[in-house]
Amino acid sequence: MGSNMAECHPVAFRWPLKARTDHDAVLMHVDPRFTRTSAACNLHVPIRAGSDIAFLGALIKFVINSKRWNEDPFFREYVVNYTNAATLVNPEFRDTEELDGVFSGLAPDGKSYANATWSYQRNQAPPKAKGGVGPFSDLLLQQVPGRPKTDPTLQDPNCVLQIVRKHYARYTPDLVEKVCGCSAEQFLKVAQTMLDNSGRDKTANITYAVGWTQHTVGVQIIRAAAMLQALLGNIGRPGGGVLALRGHATIQGSTDIATLYHSLPAYLNMPDGRKKHDSLKEFILTEAGPLATSYWGNYPKFAVSYLKAQFGAAATAENDYGYDYHPKITGDHSHMPMMLDMAAGKIKGFFVMGQNPAVGGQNARLQRKALAKLDWMVVRDYFETETAAFWRNSPEVLSGELKTADIKTEVFFLPAAAVAEMEGSFTNTQRLLQQHDKAADPPGDARSDSWFTYQLGKRLQKMYADSASNLDWGIKNLAWDYEPEAKEVAPWRIKDEPSAYKVLKEINGVTVADQKPLATFANLKEDGSTACGAWIYTGVIPEDGKNNAARRKPDQWISPNWGFAWPANRHIMYNRASADSQGKPWSEAKKLVFWDPDADSGTKDPAGNTVRGKWVAPSGEGIDFQPTKAPTMVGKDAALGFDWLSGNDAFIMRADGKAWLFAPAGLVDGPLPTHYEPYESPVANRVYRQQSNPVAKVWRTEGNVYHGVADPKYPIVVSTYRVTEHHLSGTMSRWLPWLAELMPELFCEVSPELAAEKGIRNAGYVTIVTARGEIEARALVTRRIKPFVIDGKKVHEIGLPWHWGWQGNAKGDVANDLSAMVGDPNVSIHEGKVFTCDIRAGRKGGRS
Amino acid sequence: MSPDNVQVPEWAWYYIAVYFFVAGTSAGAYFIGAMEELFSSAKEREVSRAACYVAFPLLLLVPIPLIADLGRPGRFWHLFIYNQGGYPYLNLQSPMSVGSWVLLVFGGCTLLSFLDNLVADRVISFPLFSRYYNRIPRKLYALVGSLAGFFIAGYTGVLLNVTARPFWAATSPLMGALFLVSGASTGAAAISLYLIWRQRNAGEEVARLESFDRALMISELLLIAVLLVLAGHTAQLLVTLPFLVMFWLGAVALGIAAPLWFKYRSRRQHFGGAPHLAHYLCILAGGLLLRISLLQAGQL
Amino acid sequence: MAKGMFIDTTICTGCKSCQVACKQWNGLAAEPAHFGKRSGVPYPVADNFTGDSYDNTGSLSATDWRHVRFIEQIDEQRREKRWLFSSDSCKHCSDAGCLNACPTKAIVRTDLGNVVVQQETCIGCKFCIPSCPYGVISFSEETGTVHKCTLCNDRIHNGLGTACAKACPTGSIRFGEVPDLRRRADARLAQLKGKGEKAQIYGYEEADGLKVFYLFTDRPGVYGQPEQPVVPQRRLVLCSLVTILTALGIGVAALVNFRERLNGKEEHHES
Ligand SMILES: Nc1nc2c(c(=O)[nH]1)N[C@H]1C(S)=C(S)[C@@H](COP(=O)(O)OP(=O)(O)OC[C@H]3O[C@@H](n4cnc5c(=O)[nH]c(N)nc54)[C@H](O)[C@@H]3O)O[C@H]1N2
Ligand SMILES: Nc1nc2c(c(=O)[nH]1)N[C@H]1C(S)=C(S)[C@@H](COP(=O)(O)OP(=O)(O)OC[C@H]3O[C@@H](n4cnc5c(=O)[nH]c(N)nc54)[C@H](O)[C@@H]3O)O[C@H]1N2
Ligand code: SF4
Ligand code: SF4
Ligand code: SF4
Ligand code: SF4
Ligand code: SF4
Ligand SMILES: [Mo]
Repeated sequence: MGSNMAECHPVAFRWPLKARTDHDAVLMHVDPRFTRTSAACNLHVPIRAGSDIAFLGALIKFVINSKRWNEDPFFREYVVNYTNAATLVNPEFRDTEELDGVFSGLAPDGKSYANATWSYQRNQAPPKAKGGVGPFSDLLLQQVPGRPKTDPTLQDPNCVLQIVRKHYARYTPDLVEKVCGCSAEQFLKVAQTMLDNSGRDKTANITYAVGWTQHTVGVQIIRAAAMLQALLGNIGRPGGGVLALRGHATIQGSTDIATLYHSLPAYLNMPDGRKKHDSLKEFILTEAGPLATSYWGNYPKFAVSYLKAQFGAAATAENDYGYDYHPKITGDHSHMPMMLDMAAGKIKGFFVMGQNPAVGGQNARLQRKALAKLDWMVVRDYFETETAAFWRNSPEVLSGELKTADIKTEVFFLPAAAVAEMEGSFTNTQRLLQQHDKAADPPGDARSDSWFTYQLGKRLQKMYADSASNLDWGIKNLAWDYEPEAKEVAPWRIKDEPSAYKVLKEINGVTVADQKPLATFANLKEDGSTACGAWIYTGVIPEDGKNNAARRKPDQWISPNWGFAWPANRHIMYNRASADSQGKPWSEAKKLVFWDPDADSGTKDPAGNTVRGKWVAPSGEGIDFQPTKAPTMVGKDAALGFDWLSGNDAFIMRADGKAWLFAPAGLVDGPLPTHYEPYESPVANRVYRQQSNPVAKVWRTEGNVYHGVADPKYPIVVSTYRVTEHHLSGTMSRWLPWLAELMPELFCEVSPELAAEKGIRNAGYVTIVTARGEIEARALVTRRIKPFVIDGKKVHEIGLPWHWGWQGNAKGDVANDLSAMVGDPNVSIHEGKVFTCDIRAGRKGGRS
Repeated sequence: MSPDNVQVPEWAWYYIAVYFFVAGTSAGAYFIGAMEELFSSAKEREVSRAACYVAFPLLLLVPIPLIADLGRPGRFWHLFIYNQGGYPYLNLQSPMSVGSWVLLVFGGCTLLSFLDNLVADRVISFPLFSRYYNRIPRKLYALVGSLAGFFIAGYTGVLLNVTARPFWAATSPLMGALFLVSGASTGAAAISLYLIWRQRNAGEEVARLESFDRALMISELLLIAVLLVLAGHTAQLLVTLPFLVMFWLGAVALGIAAPLWFKYRSRRQHFGGAPHLAHYLCILAGGLLLRISLLQAGQL
Repeated sequence: MAKGMFIDTTICTGCKSCQVACKQWNGLAAEPAHFGKRSGVPYPVADNFTGDSYDNTGSLSATDWRHVRFIEQIDEQRREKRWLFSSDSCKHCSDAGCLNACPTKAIVRTDLGNVVVQQETCIGCKFCIPSCPYGVISFSEETGTVHKCTLCNDRIHNGLGTACAKACPTGSIRFGEVPDLRRRADARLAQLKGKGEKAQIYGYEEADGLKVFYLFTDRPGVYGQPEQPVVPQRRLVLCSLVTILTALGIGVAALVNFRERLNGKEEHHES
């Protein structure tokens, strides 16, 4: 669901297909359109864009009310032990059923939630203990709360399962029919298949991509899927899980090493001027305090080692490892508000490296106009992107809305090296790092981004070398030495390319004293004796000269010697859950990690006898658990990390060691996924009075106008997406005649029913209009698109691949000229997957 | 998408149909001449002489369209010599290959006959060889040449029949026969025209030619009828423009039916005069239009 | 040692990787006919949008040696929904119409069974074009010769598989030795039939066996393949016979005509 895997991840789609042909797996596709993925599936169920939570909520209800789920002991054992189903929630919590679509804690202005009432009921806090491994751990130890209260019988009305039951009570097949527009039978077929294919011997997987994320409820859709999978016992087990298909090559890697504004490498949070982050101690307490009973109990080690990697020798215990000099954020600097700030003239300069916001950005017209407000912009790319060219031939310039002579933005267009022209690694969706070698020098002046960044850093350091200002301490003391070894650059023309090995080694981490790589993050220290760029990657360079990302030894299954899967070569996260509460494999068919009571644990008891019993994985899979913690072991109350977790707490990154059906923290828009209509919708919310996500990010500013609910001027739903033949904003595909001829022009997929209503001819032109803009496209009239009947009302949906712009060998209008800036409150992603529009036959400006 | 996606060679009609026509006419003429040469009395040589004077110059025209239609005209010799081996190449399965070779043989025969007649008519002389002149195996190369002529007139039709284009394939195996008969007919017309032009009254000979031609044209009409039945729906094009004009009006009505009718009407009349000229021209034009129609009906 | 390919259309996702890989490996240009000039733009811009599902390249050509066909079969109620994809190329027929037709030996079969056009020999007579029952071989104005898939002649003679098979992410195109491929195809066919699906192999009998053959779940015609392809040269004997008979007929007619009159005349003279 929410992924067009065959078209967008065609190589990975080999595996589902293989499962279907070789192992009789059932593939189902729930997507508004019939796509090349649907064509390969046993079943395609079309649902209206933006109605996934209604569908998933009904699946959850179906499962927990089903006979099998209630009678097969597998489900109960999994759910009671590995999820928070039994945990008791604060009795003051009020569900959407009681408050007609919102949860308790909504601020009076209705724009944010306080989540105090979403918390667990807890036992008394343990007596304050000492004995942490360092000063920061000592502080965290003081904060450890009491264990959450539970009711393993799952009967308590305040226990999570009962809350979930009540929350989804009204999500029936009939409601699905009315909200999603598919038939109840189709829904039931999906539901039954999911249930039938989950259990001891079978697992089911849910795969999604941006069909789910690009919504004002994107995070909650994925949460709903995670809940379903947790209830079905499908997490931590081979063949199970909720699989996010990531986008750009190594978008996973770039998230890990933190291109996002609010995140430091390896998912530490960015120091934030608005939070209690005034010192390293406060930073750690604020960020790690609530998580310290999970593996995040090691947060101090990660944070200090990160600062040591950043500032090297200059980072000392005395100066808080340079924490004060580290940049802090002061607000929401995610892409959309950043562009709005730019439009408001608040931003002077802009580096664009590997992005083309003039095409890919929501409300692209507004974004292009924002670029005109800059003093300078650096674009590094292979071709002159629309972003780089906006000042001379954008639609705004051609229409006279902007005049080239008036645009003061100085554009520096620098040629970038392509992937084959540099060494490095990709991290894929499976968290697998794979090394790629350099195959050729880039042509002419083209240079890799690491070259550019490194040289820029060196020059800045030189410029600031004499500065006495505290502000410049950071740049002056930045550890910035990636000079290549002679042999690394020997075969190449470019001799000052930074060493990819040195960069990866810094990310992996070293012991400060001897600069030897760390083999595992278990070796990290919070006393400044280790430096590590991103703890999750530790182990990729286990010893000097050895790069695990470059391993290329496949086998028939896990392939532990192929590349390196962070963390610690674990391919399936939380894989402790692949064994039952006694540590035994759930079944022979689904055996992965299990407890071997006879194995030598490698430790000796005080009497000198070998201690027996440890977790094993014959496939070579990394074990995502403390290796010698027996399944029956009970965690210590006054402890951090693994010491606090019990032998059944498989979900080691969660503060309670459980998979969360109910999210007491971490989300800003509610603990349970709830059906809200998209921000722009042709229909009113049928489930609650609350129309859309109350805390969605909206920016009502000039040029970013929204349509009303069921706006008669914009009655048609439009969804934007990709096709195999092009890549994103098209820079990497539209300039290739081979690809240009495969999909030559922007087109719009229209159902024959809508085409008949509007007089649209196949292959003729259509014009699509929103309050933000107007574009023209060729019509592709196809039954793969269908009108929906939503609660008795006919709702048309059209589809718009968004790869085109005015540059390159294949051209078309920019689909994002239509979309609005509106975002998910948790992660700020836009709602490109669903908004409203109108469509008419003929070209822009009335030409036909 | 129609399941029938056999590609069109896009042979230019003005080259290929013209070639079919010219070669067919030349071959038909030569064949008739050879028949006269072989079977009629030695005294009556007007027709066979005319045939030789028609066949060879017509054949001289042949290589031009044939080579001009090639994608790589400069390589036309690859038809005879395998360029990578340097040895002669003949592909018995390929009408085009065999046709090229036979064209060469036929060319030789027409040349010899042509020279032969020139010598006989004392237009040129070979004093050196005059001694041997009477000993040359005239009948032999007339025989070889007429066989080759048959081949040339017919193979172009066979060539179309042994492709996978629906119309050409469906009309199998009759296209060769039709082209052959049509070639003989246009050949006869060409001879007649030559005789009119040279104002040679060949009397009885021409009468024989006429009756022969009548038989040919009747067979031609019959063949066309059967061919259309065979073609079935693949012949749909023939009832659309421009085929209605080109094929039905041009090739069938004007090129065969009208002259045939004329021939019957003037059966008893003697040779010579304007109406004859027109009717031979009609036959020739009809023969050309027939080739163009059948070529294009397989290519559109 | 005959090499070939088995195209299992049931696992093709219509990604067109094969189409692009073929162009890349064989250095084929984008089809010039697909591009036009647009005002104010100094380079060619694609203008070949067809509206025929996701197929904008239409057919095989001298620069498209592989072509993926898209067949949408969806009823009005959207109950029966199928989108079939079929990646097509030269079939390397065991009895190849194109090869049979070529008058210059430009088309040859190599020791690995593949049928290739020798560019330096071809004269561009185009006879092979209508002689291919599958509409594969195509003429290029640019080179004046014909072109088609070579089964990656250079690759397979150097121990590699074909570029399209290599690029195919789903394994829909398999390269290998024909008997092995046939075993694989038979197994897959049996598997599908076992599930009650209608499926058929296309290419076992046709043209004495296509070295590149297909698994279809509908009639070949639906995939744009001839239902009953005939190697055209199989008509040669009959056509020749009929033509020879006609020639004989004309000969006899001529004989009768000329000889009888001759005799008659002589008789007349005598009397
Ligand atoms: N060929 C190619 N591959 C790519 C890319 C590319 O541009 N071209 N881009 C890469 C990137 S960056 C990304 S992020 C991924 C994205 O990969 P995908 O998420 O698979 O790509 P999309 O085509 O944007 O959207 C997927 C599907 O979501 C459906 N959809 C829309 N709205 C809804 C909804 O409300 N509910 C559900 N269930 N489905 C909905 C659309 O119909 C569409 O089929 O692809 C990556 N791979
Ligand atoms: N309406 C709508 N809008 C969307 C989406 C949608 O589904 N609908 N999808 C969204 C998603 S998921 C994404 S990921 C974005 C993508 O949007 P963008 O990231 O803006 O689009 P790309 O085309 O990927 O831009 C990447 C640029 O980087 C260049 N490039 C590639 N490699 C390198 C390199 O090594 N160095 C440098 N310097 N440059 C390089 C490419 O040539 C290209 O110009 O679009 C988003 N926008
Ligand atoms: S483009 Fe690259 S990452 Fe995307 S599917 Fe193809 S091979 Fe995989
Ligand atoms: S498919 Fe056509 S081009 Fe290919 S070998 Fe057969 S006849 Fe020749
Ligand atoms: S076009 Fe070339 S390959 Fe084809 S038949 Fe003629 S010479 Fe042979
Ligand atoms: S075998 Fe080679 S030449 Fe033939 S289609 Fe595949 S890639 Fe192209
Ligand atoms: S590469 Fe494979 S899956 Fe993709 S279109 Fe070609 S045959 Fe189909
Ligand atoms: Mo993405």
